[in-house]
Amino acid sequence: MKRFLGVLFGISILFLVIFFIDKRFNSYYREIFSIIGINIILVTSLNISNGFTGLFSLGHAGFMAVGAYTSALLDLPLDKKAMLLPNLPYWLGHISLPFLLSVIMAGFMAAFFAVLVGYPVLRLKGHYLSVATLGFMVIVRVVINNTPNLTRGAIGINNIPNYTNIWWVYFWVVITVYALWRIINSSYGRAFLAIREDHIAASLSGVNLTKYKILSFAIGAFFAGVAGALWAHQITAITPRAFSFVTTFNIVVMLVIGGMGSISGSIVSAFLLTLLPELMRPLEEGMVLFGYQLPQLYGLTQLIMATLLILVMIFRPKGLMGDRELSLKGILGQKSS
Amino acid sequence: MKKIFVLALALVFAFSLVAFSEDVVRLGAINNLTGAQASIDVPTYNGMKLAVKLANEKGGVLGKKIKLFGVDAKTDQTAAANGTRKLIDVDKVVAIAGFSDTDYALAAGAVAQKAGIPFVTSGATHPEIPKRVGDFMFMAAFGDNVQAYAGAEFAYKKLGAKKAWLLKDSAMEYTMTLAKYMKERFEKVGGKILLEDTYQTGDTDYSSQIARLKNLKEKPDVLFVAAGPDDCGLIVKQLREAGIFTPVIGGDGFDTPLLVELAGPKFANNVFFTTHISYGNKSKVVQNFINAYKKEYGHEPESAFAALGFDAIGLIINAIGRANSLDPKAIRDALATTKGYQGVTGNISYKPGDRVPTKSVTIIRVKDGKFLFEAEVLPQ
Repeated sequence: MKRFLGVLFGISILFLVIFFIDKRFNSYYREIFSIIGINIILVTSLNISNGFTGLFSLGHAGFMAVGAYTSALLDLPLDKKAMLLPNLPYWLGHISLPFLLSVIMAGFMAAFFAVLVGYPVLRLKGHYLSVATLGFMVIVRVVINNTPNLTRGAIGINNIPNYTNIWWVYFWVVITVYALWRIINSSYGRAFLAIREDHIAASLSGVNLTKYKILSFAIGAFFAGVAGALWAHQITAITPRAFSFVTTFNIVVMLVIGGMGSISGSIVSAFLLTLLPELMRPLEEGMVLFGYQLPQLYGLTQLIMATLLILVMIFRPKGLMGDRELSLKGILGQKSS
Repeated sequence: MKKIFVLALALVFAFSLVAFSEDVVRLGAINNLTGAQASIDVPTYNGMKLAVKLANEKGGVLGKKIKLFGVDAKTDQTAAANGTRKLIDVDKVVAIAGFSDTDYALAAGAVAQKAGIPFVTSGATHPEIPKRVGDFMFMAAFGDNVQAYAGAEFAYKKLGAKKAWLLKDSAMEYTMTLAKYMKERFEKVGGKILLEDTYQTGDTDYSSQIARLKNLKEKPDVLFVAAGPDDCGLIVKQLREAGIFTPVIGGDGFDTPLLVELAGPKFANNVFFTTHISYGNKSKVVQNFINAYKKEYGHEPESAFAALGFDAIGLIINAIGRANSLDPKAIRDALATTKGYQGVTGNISYKPGDRVPTKSVTIIRVKDGKFLFEAEVLPQ
């Protein structure tokens, strides 16, 4: 009961914050907060496989791509579909689902691919697994590039309706974080942790390795698909090039900085690493500071961010949070000491 | 971490206070100043800044000075959309220019279109961009179909090529379009494509494509290479290293110092490409531009994109003057009726309802590391 009240309290606070942002901020800051939310979904979901189960996957951008394209194909308005993609199969060319449904379908499609890929790939361990998942991401891109009837190939799909807003994003953030939190603290979560710590011991204790590994991978992929769908309806133009190594590594960096195996760490780091570069934009654009015109130094934010990342890795090698969680009790306890 | 956060917030706040205290005409420039696109977008941005500076020396527009807000899109579509929103919401610009690549122009254009702010893409060349984004989207450069037609006709008529090999980057919209139109026109005038091969952006080893080229029964007279600025130099280098010295024809993606830097002056010989301008052109507009650029940056314009950036901002300033208003919609209407604007990259006019300009194409020959003017053509 107490926990239920706590969750309710947290959600109402979040609701008020979003309400404030929605009413008071201009669209630039609103969209930044949407991107932060999308990144939170991406990083926390990657944490399930990479942090909690110890399967270091680099395929997250691939699952994002699957989600983005699935949702775009399902909910494009019919007139635009006929113009952009005249060669779709009949049934796909004549449906236009509501946004909620297409996002859910995007998640399931990504999870389906995760099971499909996971079955052979998850037999691998360590960096072999990482390389194989990276391979999956490349395959997704190549397939998208070479099936123009379905995806328009390298040209990409544009004119996707701009459904994503801050409310949709944080609706999904709440669902993602709550679902992951419950999974981690259930018998499934214990099994994931057991696999991470010692898969032989876990197997001897009766944990079905294949089942739990695939499950962990698929749950992460589901939310990556959701995030991809939200992203597609935010940017409104998607191309296969957008889902690249760079995208994957950005998510992995946020995960490592936040701390592998800490959901609150993922949230904090997705928030900081998305917001800081935007806030530092004026610095590189040659702002006027106390009457002095600073020179334009594009690329400065990347340099500062890289330096910050190195410093974090030196002083907190396990990430900002390590594998601990941020809790109200912890904060209050620290203050009183 | 908290201190940095507070400091950053304070900086943003200080910046916005200063920015709003002046009575100026606010224009936006968004380009990929860092990342893979930087080698073509940095000259673009230099050209834009120069255009604003020269206009201000002549008294600005509508009696006000012009202020250019530059934003870096980091070769990232999310940053392109965010940066455009920043220009519109935070910097309150009335019109935006930018980008040399279709992917980013589409992402940024969608934002500007929704906000009702005119967007002139300086260097993106996909002929369908304005149609796909909407009535606030304009192009300063010719469409890819036009430059591909020019390249194909040049190969057939001037180089006397009958058989060709075609290599395209299958991961970029620009190269796919270019290849499609090159093939279409080359076959229409009577040529034959022996083999159409692909690679992906960022590949560094082209040996399998080159092996397939060497295995062809008939030898091609010309090699069409539809590649982006980062890859073209390496492709040319590896072709030449494999002993293939057949003429290479590329699009405006070749118009970068990287071509000669990566391939080397010797191997870059016998390479031709279609582009927007030749700085060897003796006309007064071009020479004045080169001199002003040299004076401002200490070196000659790196590529055609510098001139395109200059023209994109020039078009906007010209439209604001004719609209006699800072209302974005009035500026849009004035832009759409641009007629015979004397730009550095040629005369620019928009036909009614068409926001892709009608312009001639320049063909450049690379010789001993120098870009020489070869021909200027207006394909049918």
